[in-house]
Amino acid sequence: MSERAVFAQDLAVGYGGPPVLREVSFAVAAGQTVCVLGPNGGGKTTLFRALLGELEPADGTVSVSGRPAYVAQTERTRLDFPVSAFDVALMGTLARGRWWLPPRPDDRAAARRALGRVGLADQAEVPFGELSGGQRQRALLARALVQDARVLLLDEPLSGVDPASAGLIDSVFADLRGEGRALLVSSHDVESARGFDLVLCLHRRQVAFGPPGEVLHRATLEATYGRELIVLDEAGPARAVTVQHHEHGPHEER
Amino acid sequence: MPSPLDLADLPFLREAFVEILLLGAAGGLLSAWIVLRRLAFFSHAAGSATFPGLVAADASGISPTVAGLAVALGYAGGVERAGRAGREHGEATALLLVAALAGGVILASDVFESGAAVDRLLFGTLLGLGPGDLVLSAVVAVLAALASVALGRTWAAIAFDPDSAPALGLPAATADRLLLGLVAVAAVAAIPAVGALLVAAVYVLPGAAARLLARSVPALLAWSVALALAEGLAGLYVAYWLDLPPGPPVAVLGATVYAVLALATLRIR
Amino acid sequence: MSGIELRAMLEVVLAGGFCGALGFWVLSERLAYGAESLSHGLLPGLVLAGLAGAPLLVGAAGGAVAAAALIALAVRDPRAGPDTGTAVAVTGLVGLGSLLALAPDAPQRLEELLFGDPLGATDTDLVAAAVLLAAGGAALASLHRPLVATSFDAAGAGALGLRPALVRLALLAMLAAAIAVAVQGLGALLVLAVLVAPPVAVRRHVRTPAATMLAGAVVAALAGVLGIQLSSLAGTAAGASVALVLCAAAAAGAALPARA
Repeated sequence: MSERAVFAQDLAVGYGGPPVLREVSFAVAAGQTVCVLGPNGGGKTTLFRALLGELEPADGTVSVSGRPAYVAQTERTRLDFPVSAFDVALMGTLARGRWWLPPRPDDRAAARRALGRVGLADQAEVPFGELSGGQRQRALLARALVQDARVLLLDEPLSGVDPASAGLIDSVFADLRGEGRALLVSSHDVESARGFDLVLCLHRRQVAFGPPGEVLHRATLEATYGRELIVLDEAGPARAVTVQHHEHGPHEER
Repeated sequence: MPSPLDLADLPFLREAFVEILLLGAAGGLLSAWIVLRRLAFFSHAAGSATFPGLVAADASGISPTVAGLAVALGYAGGVERAGRAGREHGEATALLLVAALAGGVILASDVFESGAAVDRLLFGTLLGLGPGDLVLSAVVAVLAALASVALGRTWAAIAFDPDSAPALGLPAATADRLLLGLVAVAAVAAIPAVGALLVAAVYVLPGAAARLLARSVPALLAWSVALALAEGLAGLYVAYWLDLPPGPPVAVLGATVYAVLALATLRIR
Repeated sequence: MSGIELRAMLEVVLAGGFCGALGFWVLSERLAYGAESLSHGLLPGLVLAGLAGAPLLVGAAGGAVAAAALIALAVRDPRAGPDTGTAVAVTGLVGLGSLLALAPDAPQRLEELLFGDPLGATDTDLVAAAVLLAAGGAALASLHRPLVATSFDAAGAGALGLRPALVRLALLAMLAAAIAVAVQGLGALLVLAVLVAPPVAVRRHVRTPAATMLAGAVVAALAGVLGIQLSSLAGTAAGASVALVLCAAAAAGAALPARA
């Protein structure tokens, strides 16, 4: 029996008032990948913050194997901060404790290896703000790799990323899976969810959880996205487009 | 304790009395807009930036009013060109103000050796006000009243939603420019009485306190003028009684009134 | 070079050195306006210390704490907005400080509290500056990696096991201490320069946080020495002279072409 990497039971989370996310129950085993779907404000980020331990559950339980790594969207990071790609990867070693000491040689080696894995070995000295969007995402992924966490939480890692970077990132995901790590990836890309082991749909509560074949049906998607959902093909498997109300505009799949 | 009526009776206090009435009217009206349009720092900076100009003018016989207006309007022009970003207190502005204050004090103490001028220019004077100061304050009060009538609704619309104001066909950029310019001139007008460092006592504190009481823009303006006049006169009285420049008492009174009202209205809500 | 001037230079080098380094974080964390408000707002503390015969440092520290508390309260009211709330608190405090200082029997000259008095540095002030540099420098060094990670990406730093709130609190504590010590030399109105001017002067010419901090410390120390020398030669106010040299350094550094 594979150990549970992430587990939630009747989880409800709020920001002080009534819970903004409730009735969440799911279990993820080591080596499984989960695509977390839902509209903006539906609770994806709230769930991640609860998994990170930033928010106390209002109800129910949540447990994560070890300290999860977090790859946020690059808009949250500072582009004018004077750090290189290597410096960013090196930040991952802070998870090893002893933050008051300078990094050790094996810390630096780990950062270099991680940059190599994400294809940024040649860009190690480039300032973070001068990297392309896809490269920045890969640098943040390198930081997560250095952290060597059993569970990784990724917030829309492929949005706005060029195809080359996206391909690299996908192959890193496959490697991480093979290493027995669990990945939770939030996304607006409904069709891409088919490539994951499991799908979790959130709209202020858990709408569905299970393999993509079971979850990605019209009824579930409509319950998740409401009016944001446009279904392209009535017959056969649902081909769906979700409309976002901010940066990107409609996302097309297939 | 001297009688408060001295303020109106005694001839040597008459200038100060009239000045405070004029500044109370101007300050009441303008501080409402300054608070709504988030121009508190700008009004303070416009006053402080004039300091070296005032010192130089004071010592060399040029009218300090002219020097002050030149600097303040120049500062307003610079802020306007920098756009909305210029109104935020960036590092450049902070250093500019430090340089202005340091430059001013060196000019005053060591170049012109007019040491006493520093206190007067920074905190105001009770007895040293002249007819020119009164004229400028009267002009500002009249302009503030006219502008509030003519541009008030435009300013309120921009304050409420800066992005859609142009879509409503309002001359947002022009209205903005006029407001900045008017605030800059008004800051200079207040300097003789309350000092370059404390113009916010006239142009921010009454409006901030009025904001706690008013639910509409007309009410905000009314409360703001009432508070500005009350605080100004009370501060003037304290200055007369304790032999102080008027700026500090007006500032302390204004801040105290704000604190009391903030606590009082907090409980009611 | 008299003993008094040497002491003044030592004080500005010690205190300025730390402030010039800390300034990188003041800019990174957008704390310039907060630092300015804090330094103006501690004026009543300075005056009260003078009236009570207590050391200036005590008044500065107490004044800084009181100002921080008042500003924090004023800022919380959503009706005014943080800009207005801070302006109310600071204007009131500056008014209070100057009112107390201008009362006829006050021993302290208000001008020195506003614009600094490096030539009047006491042994206590020198010791305080030395302690600030040593302890503050050690704190900055040991907190370096958490500060970098938190400033770059607070959410990610939290995931790495750091506590961004505590890191920021440590930074604010260092800022308050730096202002309390440096206000002796530069005064409540000018002390901001020693925090903001050095990083502005060097940031286009160096590439890492550590380099910016070291270069900032050097620039601050040099500006302090130069300022005192100039004030001695030209007979100008010492604190204001140091402040002007700092501002000139910032202008020069911002105007020079950046290194590739």
